[in-house]
Amino acid sequence: MPKFDIPARILEQTQLAHGIFLLTIKAPAILDSANPGQFCMLEVKYNNSRDPLLRRPLSIYKTGANGHISFLYKEVGKGTHLLSKRRPGEIVRVLGPLGQGFRLIYDRPCILVGGGLGIAPLLLLAERIKQSGKLIILIGAGNASEIPTIEDFSRLTRYFHVATEDGSLGQRGMVTDLLAQTLQEITGLAQIYTCGPWPMMKAVYYMACKKNILCQVSLEATMACGIGLCLGCAVPKSDNRGFLHVCQEGPVFDADQVNWEYTQ
Amino acid sequence: MIHQKNPITKSPNLSIKIGSLVLKNPVLLASGTCGYGAELDGLLDLDQVGGIIVKGISIKPRPGNPPPRLVETPCGLLNSIGLENVGIESFLRDKLPWLRNAKTSLIVNILGNSVEEYAEIAKKLDGAEGVKAIEVNISCPNVKAGGIAFGTDPEAAAYVTHAVKKATDLPVIIKLTPNVTDITKVARKVASAGADAISLINTLLGMAIDIKSRRPALANVFGGLSGPAIKPIALRMVWQVVRAVDIPVIGVGGISTPDDALEFLMAGARAVEIGTATLVRPGTAKDVLTGIRDYMEAYSIKNIEDLRLPE
Repeated sequence: MPKFDIPARILEQTQLAHGIFLLTIKAPAILDSANPGQFCMLEVKYNNSRDPLLRRPLSIYKTGANGHISFLYKEVGKGTHLLSKRRPGEIVRVLGPLGQGFRLIYDRPCILVGGGLGIAPLLLLAERIKQSGKLIILIGAGNASEIPTIEDFSRLTRYFHVATEDGSLGQRGMVTDLLAQTLQEITGLAQIYTCGPWPMMKAVYYMACKKNILCQVSLEATMACGIGLCLGCAVPKSDNRGFLHVCQEGPVFDADQVNWEYTQ
Repeated sequence: MIHQKNPITKSPNLSIKIGSLVLKNPVLLASGTCGYGAELDGLLDLDQVGGIIVKGISIKPRPGNPPPRLVETPCGLLNSIGLENVGIESFLRDKLPWLRNAKTSLIVNILGNSVEEYAEIAKKLDGAEGVKAIEVNISCPNVKAGGIAFGTDPEAAAYVTHAVKKATDLPVIIKLTPNVTDITKVARKVASAGADAISLINTLLGMAIDIKSRRPALANVFGGLSGPAIKPIALRMVWQVVRAVDIPVIGVGGISTPDDALEFLMAGARAVEIGTATLVRPGTAKDVLTGIRDYMEAYSIKNIEDLRLPE
């Protein structure tokens, strides 16, 4: 699978809500070989600055015509802060597409469970599933402002539900409440895809286990290289015999490969 | 009539010798930052670098340390990977065939829990087709047994060097740790024990604390600091070791630009290794090499050795 490390022009940088941004770049080479669930490493430093040293991994959120790739990201530290200051017309160095994306399963209803900005890798997947199968989307967040791009999802399926902890959008509660309700109605086969905070994904996986439903998760980890050179992004395997590497074997894993009881 | 090229534009000679090993240029990829080579496929043309020093190999596969394994620090990176590697058998079977096709010199970094283990791995590599040299890691700060235990004791370092030299006819490079009071003591011992070259520095022992969780940021508590932050220390130690021993010295530590590399070559390093900078930008080594060549052409310097500053 070809990867590219290229300078890409920024086309759009929009603040969607407090601390949440949508960045669009033009990178046709990366787009051509990208699959849902893959990510890119974006250089956040300016020119020859060496601080922050590392690139930041961001899931590919959206793709468009003419090689447009969008990233939905949250300002969480110095790196993403600097990235948010970059303006259209500027060049950002991008390495991608990286990692193993979602494995698509068409013969059963697919339930996408996203928490907060964990929705980022799920949009391309939802668009792909929509073409051929039943698509159920469940999204949760603390409040409505944490998920400003919700309409990108709601327009894809009528089986769309949202929950917020403060009740500012959709049902008051957690996304796992929505999943519990959905799973009650599922009688046959199903496939869950999830991305969000670790405790949420863990809860989703355990719910899937109880119903014998397969679950794929997209994990996040601190990374240095994004391509398997440093082995820094390790996550313990479920059998505790060694580690998975988020950048190379992931970021998408079958949830049963992961040791969910591991706390850092 | 064929017009001859103006001789003034003749390319400088970038090739260098490390013991019996001839490298086509002095820019190498540092162990632990270039995987087993294949990971860089399509991002860095290995044919262009002087050599690749693959991830440290042990007798048995090592799973490495629990996460978190990485912390970014100002201009630096703290890691405690814990020498995760596939082990010598899998390396020879699964990784070496791909590496043989790369048109660069393959140097294998090795590590052990005992002198016997170092020698055993060296012996296994001795007859392995495609392996051009061995770099001996006696300097990893992230594992309890082995690694740094040998690198901080001049006698133990010499003992490992001697054992590895006895086990193989390949050129042997000893990689030193900076986590000592006087690096020249270890360097001299290693040189007199028969090392063909010395590479330095490995990472500096460091730590970070997560003030939100109120815990050490690395699961292993301590880690090795690398990246541009350590370059001045590496350069100083290279300068010292170059002047303490008669064998070639390979400089490594925070090199990310041609200017950085030139500083090490001027300090007297025969070659340089690019480490953390490859993680940040996979093509760094190629850019460093181009920059060195440009500099030598601009200043009409014919050989790498001519870059070394006069005493």
